[in-house]
Amino acid sequence: MDFGWSEKQLAFRHRARSAIRELLPADWYDVAVPKSYAHDDNVEFSRVFCSRLAELGLLVHHWPVEHGGAAGTDWEQFILAEEMKAVGEPRAGQYMNVNWIGPTLMKFGTAAQKDAYLSGIAAGSSVWCQGFSEPGAGTDLASLLTSAKEAEGGSYLINGSKIWTSYARKADFCFLAVRTGSSRKEISIFLVPMSLPGITVRGIPGLVKDGHLNEVFFTNVHVDGAALLGELHRGWDVIQYALQLERVGVPRYHVGLKILDSVMADLKAIGRADDKNIRARAGMIASKLEAARLLTYLVVDQRVKREPPSADANIARVSTVEAVIDLLDFILEFVPDALTGERPELEEYIRMSIPSGITAGTYELQLDLIASGALGLERK
Amino acid sequence: MAMDFSLSIDEQLFISSVESLLSDHQELPQNSRSKAYYFDSQLQAELKNQGYLDAAIELGPVAGALLVMATARLSPIVEVGASALVRPMVIPKQPLESPIVLIDMAEPRRTYRFLPVAASALLVKGDDIEVMRVDPVQVEEVDSIQAYPYGKFVNPREIFSCRLVAGGASRLRQWWRVAIAAEMAGAADAAVDFTVQFAKEREVLGRPIGSFQAVQHRLSQCRQIANGMRWLTLRAAWSGEVKDANLAACYAQQQVGKLVFDLHQFNGAMGLTNEHLLHFWTYRLRALQNEVGGAYSAALDVADSLWSDVEESIRGANDLIFDVMS
Repeated sequence: MDFGWSEKQLAFRHRARSAIRELLPADWYDVAVPKSYAHDDNVEFSRVFCSRLAELGLLVHHWPVEHGGAAGTDWEQFILAEEMKAVGEPRAGQYMNVNWIGPTLMKFGTAAQKDAYLSGIAAGSSVWCQGFSEPGAGTDLASLLTSAKEAEGGSYLINGSKIWTSYARKADFCFLAVRTGSSRKEISIFLVPMSLPGITVRGIPGLVKDGHLNEVFFTNVHVDGAALLGELHRGWDVIQYALQLERVGVPRYHVGLKILDSVMADLKAIGRADDKNIRARAGMIASKLEAARLLTYLVVDQRVKREPPSADANIARVSTVEAVIDLLDFILEFVPDALTGERPELEEYIRMSIPSGITAGTYELQLDLIASGALGLERK
Repeated sequence: MAMDFSLSIDEQLFISSVESLLSDHQELPQNSRSKAYYFDSQLQAELKNQGYLDAAIELGPVAGALLVMATARLSPIVEVGASALVRPMVIPKQPLESPIVLIDMAEPRRTYRFLPVAASALLVKGDDIEVMRVDPVQVEEVDSIQAYPYGKFVNPREIFSCRLVAGGASRLRQWWRVAIAAEMAGAADAAVDFTVQFAKEREVLGRPIGSFQAVQHRLSQCRQIANGMRWLTLRAAWSGEVKDANLAACYAQQQVGKLVFDLHQFNGAMGLTNEHLLHFWTYRLRALQNEVGGAYSAALDVADSLWSDVEESIRGANDLIFDVMS
C-alpha cells in the first residue's frame, strides 16, 4: 500500500503545471475563469490552448502512440485532469474529447471515422458536444425520442431535440444518441457535424454560467450513413463503453480544497478566520474533501490495474457531492458577497457546483448503484 | 513510491493470518449475549503471545491499523488500538504490558475505556507522556452501554506514574487519533454489513426493508462513510503525518451521528436489545466519538495545520492547500 507519488508522477504534474502557467493568458483568472469554461469565449480559447497543449505533448498524452499519444498512464491522465480543473478547465469541452470521445472512436470507429476525427482531437482543434439528454430523457436515457430514420441512398434523417448540451453553440461535432428502433434499447450513435442544415442551438439562461445549458434542435437533418458509429441499434454498447471511461468523474474535491483555502483567506481579511466555529466547520469540510479524494484515487487505482468497474466509482461520486454541498453551505453562510458580483471566481465555483448532484449521473442514481453493486440490495 | 491502494504481499499475508486467528473468535459466549460488551481475554492473550501486537514495528503502521480494523469488526472486544498502534509508534523500544489504557491527565476523574481490564496505562500529562502499571485496586468499573469496559480511578490523586517521555504528548495524540479512526472504520464497516444483512431478511409490508429505495439510499450513504473512514485511516497510518491523523479522526468522528442513527433506524426495536449485536459496533462508535476532543477538536487541528497563518498560506492561484507535489 502506498499513498505517495512516484518521481515520474511528480515530474509529470510539474510538467503539467508549468505548461498551464506558460499557456494561460495573464488575465485568465480575472476574466476567463469567472465566465466559466463553457462560455463561448472560453470554448474558442480552448482551440488555442489545446493546440499548444498538443504541441507540448500533453493533450492526449495517455492515448496510444498510433493516435498521437505517448501511451501515458491512467494516473498521468488523472493528474492532468486535476491540474486542469484546479485552474478552471481551460480545455473547456475538449476534456471530453480526450477522455472518452476519442477513445470511444478508437474502439468503435471505422478507419474513415478515425482518420476524420482523431487527428483533429489530438491536435486540439476540434470541439465536440454530447447529445444525450433530452427534455424527457436524462437519467433514463433509454427513453430518448430524437430519431434517425433511414432515407434515400443510405443516409439518415434526424428529428428531435437535445437539452443541457454544453458547448453546443461553438461545437464542430455532436456525439449524438438517437432512437433507430421501437424498442427501448434500439439506440444508435451518430457523429454529426453541427454545421449541417436543420440544426439550431438556443442558450438557456440559468443558475449555472452561460454556455453550459443549451437546447439543440434537429429538424430534418440529413446525415450520411458513414456518420453511424458502431452498429445500427447497438448504440447502447457504445454509450456504456464511453461512460465507463468517465467513471472517475470530475475531480471536484481538488478545486474544492483550493476554494476553501481562498475563502479562509477572505475570512482572515475581515477578521473572522480565528473564529473557532468557522475553523472547525472548515476543518470538517477539508476532511470530507480528502475522503472524496482518496475514494476517487481508489477508482483510478482500480482502472490502472484493469479491474472491472465497481460501485467504488459511485461511492466516490457520492462522497464528492456531499463534500461539495457542505462547502457551498459554508461559503454562502460566511461569505456574504459570494453571489453578488464581488467575488467572480468564487461565484463561478458556486454556480458550477449547484448541479454537482445532477450531472454525470444523479446523486440518487449513484446511491441506487451502490445499493445494488456494493450492498447486494435489490429493488422489488 | 507510487500510488497503489492494494496491500503489499507482506500486508496481505499478515491480514490473512489475522483473519484466520479471528475466525475462531467471531461468536459470543451464550452467557455474554445480553451484556453491553464482551471482553475476549483469550483472544487478547493470543494476539500478544503470537506477536500480532508488534506488527506495526515489524511491518509498519499500516499493518497495525489493519489489525485494529479487523479486530473492531468482531462483536467480542479486545484492546488493540493502544497496544498495536499507539505503543509501537510512540514508545517502540519500551515494553508495556497490554491491555493498555490511554489516559489524558487533564481529566483524571473521568471514566476511561479499557481501564478495568488494563495492565498498563499511557498517560498524557501536559506535553509529556508517562506510563504506569494499572493496579486493579485503584480501579472501579462503571456500567456503560458504550460497548467497552469502562472504569475510573478510585482516588485520582493517588495515581502514580513514571518513566517520563518528555515532549511526546503530541505524538501520542496523533497515533491515538489514528487508532480511534481505525477502530471506528472497522466498527462502522461491520455495523453496515450487519444492518444490510438484516435489511435483506427483515420484511415489512410483505417485502424486505432493504428493498425500499429510501432505506437503500441511506445504507448506501453509510457504506460510503465507512469506506471513507477506512482510506483516510490507512493514509494516516502510512504517512505518519499529524495532519493526516487529524483528518482521519475528524472525518470519522463527525460521521458518527448519521451512521448510528441510520443503522439503528433500520434495525428497529431489535437494535435496542443487547442480544441483537448491533450495539457492539454502534456504541463503540459512540464511545470513540468524543476521544481526544472529538470531531470539533480534530477539525480545529486540521484548520491549524492548513490555515495557521492564512496570509502566508495563500500561494499562487495554481497551488493547492494539500500540495500534492510535496
